Amino acid sequence: MDSDREYRGHQDPRPGFGEPAPARGQLPLPGFGGPPPGDGRVPLPGFGGPPPGDGRVPLPDFGGPADGPAPTRHDGVRRVRRMSNWTLAALIVGTGATTVALAHHAFPAAATTAGTSSTAVGTGAGAVTNGAVTNGAAGPQVTHSVATTSGSGVTVTTTTHTVNGKTVVSHVRHVKPYHDS
Amino acid sequence: MTMTMTRSVPELTAAAPWRRIATGDRVVAVAERAALGTSARLAVWPPENLDRALAAVDDVLDMLDRQASRFRPDSELSWLHRGGGGRYLLSNGFAEAVSVALAAAQWTGGRTDPTVGDALIALGYDRDFAAIDPQRREPPGPPAPAPGWQLVRLDGPILHLPPGVRLDLGATAKGLGSDRAARAALAAGGNCGGVLVSLGGDIATGGTPPRDGWPILVADGPDPAGSAPPQRVRLPSGAVATSSITCRQWRRAGRVLHHIVDPRTGRPADGPWQTVSVAAATCADANAAATAAVVAGDRAEEWLASAGLPARLVSRDAAVRYVGGWPGEDGGRIDVPSGTHVYSGARPGGTR
Repeated sequence: MDSDREYRGHQDPRPGFGEPAPARGQLPLPGFGGPPPGDGRVPLPGFGGPPPGDGRVPLPDFGGPADGPAPTRHDGVRRVRRMSNWTLAALIVGTGATTVALAHHAFPAAATTAGTSSTAVGTGAGAVTNGAVTNGAAGPQVTHSVATTSGSGVTVTTTTHTVNGKTVVSHVRHVKPYHDS
Repeated sequence: MTMTMTRSVPELTAAAPWRRIATGDRVVAVAERAALGTSARLAVWPPENLDRALAAVDDVLDMLDRQASRFRPDSELSWLHRGGGGRYLLSNGFAEAVSVALAAAQWTGGRTDPTVGDALIALGYDRDFAAIDPQRREPPGPPAPAPGWQLVRLDGPILHLPPGVRLDLGATAKGLGSDRAARAALAAGGNCGGVLVSLGGDIATGGTPPRDGWPILVADGPDPAGSAPPQRVRLPSGAVATSSITCRQWRRAGRVLHHIVDPRTGRPADGPWQTVSVAAATCADANAAATAAVVAGDRAEEWLASAGLPARLVSRDAAVRYVGGWPGEDGGRIDVPSGTHVYSGARPGGTR
């Protein structure tokens, strides 16, 4: 992992010490290294099955190949219109559900706590968000501090426990014996 | 003129393991480990992105340590110090680190200066901080004012370092690392959700923040008796960093010393502020501004106001001052100005 990138220098004062630090090469980012989908097509709901052997694709309400006369062009247009109506209906329902979900997450933030190093919030485990997050433009509701900005070396340890049904979050400041590297 | 070397150097240290932190919110995954002489913390949502984000942050921290550590004999910084001055062809990452340090020095009017390496050594900060004898009896060496960042030139990846000049990138390296790590962690999650990275309290964010911003605790020194009370703030975007003289202290001949050096004197900064927190668009900006404010002393508020940066200053008697729109109330939101002084001033491809 260290040899795929070149470092150059013309200062080599001591044998064996002229090498700069090795570096990692360009690695594919996780999530970007997988193979592309085969042909880019995504099956529509209800249309994902393999086509029948004769290559014809069954449409909703029409089942398999009919025994009667072949459908006319007018019939085909009607089928397309019917599909469009179903698609429109599905879009309306989906949009409505998304709106409700976003509105559910749009409640005002919980009041922040006073300047103490220990806070009591919620009513036990039920008050803690259940892990569901929105993946849209807005982030999740986060009520507890996730990090501390302070002088280097000062660390605030956050612990969470339940007392009398309430979730108590404590912040304890201390200097950790981390070593400089 | 130059020679090419591709031989790898064996790893000298292994990364400390991450441990999960329970903050009380399960919508955000938080983990922490020791790194760069302090602690690294990562918060990410959605939580399922954590593992990939941790791996990305590990790579960034490992790279930064190999580039800029004063205490690793195999770092690029140690390598060029052994050369005793001259011209060096740097890796792209280290060239960026030096360029950011030089840009910060220019922006802060020399209140941060990467040429304070010898000053720190003269004060006794010449080894792993945990290895420093906190009660050494002999006095520190004579103060060594910084030679001056203007003596250092960076032409693209080529560094011109005068003989006898030792660099220390402490005023910007952690901020740069947080910025890099936040970008990498966000990319590792497919640029979905949001991330927060803290290196020793220097915090960068990326992606979509939690509603109302990332909740962050702003703390002063490790001793509550001589410190201002912690403050909760919310950071919708950008970064926040803190510099303080209350930590990384040691004694020489009965005299208390700390690691924030005034480049003009080579002595520890002795202004009225013990801790300064600054919010900015990037963590490198915030990191440099916080250190510069501690060094600026009486002129810190004026300089921060001119820079247009929200800041919280804690005096040596634990009185708190807010400037530039930093919220005075607990839980207040910090809106950082857009734009970066440090990265826009850093021109890896140009001359500095």
